[in-house]
Amino acid sequence: MSATIEYTPKDYKSDLKPIWCPGCGDFSVVQAIYRALAAIGRPPHEIAFISGIGCSSRIPGYTTAYGFNSVHGRSLPIAQGIKLANPDLLVLAAGGDGDGFSIGGGHLPHMVRRNMDIAYIVMDNQIYGLTKGQLSPTSQKGRSTCTSRHGSLEAPVNPLLYMLAYGAGFVAQACPTDLAGMAAIIEAAIRYPGFAFVNIQSPCVTYGEESQQLKSLKAISENLETIGHNPADRLAAMDLAQDYGDKLHLGVFYRNPEPPPTYGDLVKERQERLAKDAIPRENILDLFIKK
Amino acid sequence: MAIQGIDLARQSLLDALDLAILVEEEAQERYGEFADQMDQYRNADAARFFRHMVENEAKHGEELSSRREQRFGDAPRKVTRAMIFDIEAPDYDAARAFMTPRQAMEAALASELKARDFFEAALPSIQDAEVRELFQELRDEEVQHQALVQAELAKLPPDSGISPEAFVDEPAAQ
Repeated sequence: MSATIEYTPKDYKSDLKPIWCPGCGDFSVVQAIYRALAAIGRPPHEIAFISGIGCSSRIPGYTTAYGFNSVHGRSLPIAQGIKLANPDLLVLAAGGDGDGFSIGGGHLPHMVRRNMDIAYIVMDNQIYGLTKGQLSPTSQKGRSTCTSRHGSLEAPVNPLLYMLAYGAGFVAQACPTDLAGMAAIIEAAIRYPGFAFVNIQSPCVTYGEESQQLKSLKAISENLETIGHNPADRLAAMDLAQDYGDKLHLGVFYRNPEPPPTYGDLVKERQERLAKDAIPRENILDLFIKK
Repeated sequence: MAIQGIDLARQSLLDALDLAILVEEEAQERYGEFADQMDQYRNADAARFFRHMVENEAKHGEELSSRREQRFGDAPRKVTRAMIFDIEAPDYDAARAFMTPRQAMEAALASELKARDFFEAALPSIQDAEVRELFQELRDEEVQHQALVQAELAKLPPDSGISPEAFVDEPAAQ
C-alpha cells in the first residue's frame, strides 16, 4: 500500500462519461464514492468494484478501480470470490434494487452470515429503469407501470429491515439530497471491518414518480444522528427501519460495536493453523493415487 | 451545498482564495458534465449554454488563481476539493435530458443564487478583514453573474408550455 500518496476524488474518476439520464441520482452517488475512496486513500489498483446489471450497475466503469459489470444479481458472489482470492483488495459491490433484492436477493442472507469484508451499495430507485420502467421489488403497492397498469398488488420489500434481520453488522441509508452525508456514510461502510450495506435512495428521473424525486425525498428525510439514534442499538434500528417507504431516515441504522471476525480472518487463521501439516502443493495429486 | 473541515470564520486569505478557486473548478466541471449529458441527448442548445458556463467559470477561476500566485506564489494548498460539496456547481438533479435553453439558464441562475447565499451566509462570522473583503467581492460577483444570466433569459422567447418530456417514447407495451 502507498500510504504516503494523498489521493483526491479525481484520482478515482475514469475517462468514461456516464450515460445515465440527466438528473439521475446515480451521478451524485458516484461523486460520493470518489470522495469516500479519496478519504480512505487506497490507490485505485488496490480496489475491485463489482456490480450486477442495471443502470446503477454501470458505476464501476466510471471509476478507475478494477471493475466488473457482471451478471444480473450476481455481484455479491463474484465480489466474494475476488475477496477470497485476494484478501488485500478493497472490494466494493454495487447495483440496483432489482439486481440486489429480486434476482440477487437469495445471496443477501449468505453474504451477511459469511461476513466478508465487502461494502455493498444499492441504488434503490423502486423501478427497473434500464428496461424502461417495470415494477421492482421495492416498488410501492399500487404503483402503476407499463406492466402493472392497474397498480401493483404486491407490498415492497424493506431492504433495511431485511439486512438488520439477517444480522448485518453495518446497515445505513443515504440519499443524494445530502452529498456530504452520503460520502461519509459510504466511507464508514468501507471502513467497517465486515460486510456493510448502504441503501441509497437514488431517484429515477425518467420512470420514477414525483414522490420519489429529490425534492419530495428531502421533505420526508430525517437525519438519524439529529434524532439521537444510537447506532449500536439494533432493536432501535429495526424499529426505525420499519419507516422505509414513509420516512427517509439518513445515516447509520446499525453498526456492530464489537465486529466479529470476518470470513477472511477465519480463513487466514485456519490456513495458518493447518499449514504446518499441509501436504506440499506439488504433492497434492498423491492424495488421489493408490500406492 | 456544504463544506467540511474548513473553518470559514478563521480561515486565512490564502485558504479563502484556494476555496474560491475550487468552488469555480467544481462548477466548471459540473457544467462540463451537463454539456456532455446534453450532447448525448442531441440537445445542442442546452449543451452550448452549459459550455458557455464552463468558459465563464474557467475564466473566473483563472483570475483567482493568478491573484493567488501573485500574492502567495506556490504556497502549499490546505483546502482540497474533498472539502467542498456543490457550492456553485448546479445540483445533478437540475439537469433533464430535453431541457430547453430557458430551463438550462434557470438551472445556472439557481446555482449563482446558491453561491451568493454561501458567501453571504459566511460573511458575518469572518474575522480577517482581507478575507471578508474577498468574500464580499465573490458575493457581488455572483450577483453580477445572476444579472448576466437574467439578461440572457430576457432575450429568450417564452417556452411553448409543452413539455418535451411529453414527446418521449412511452415504454414499449410489454
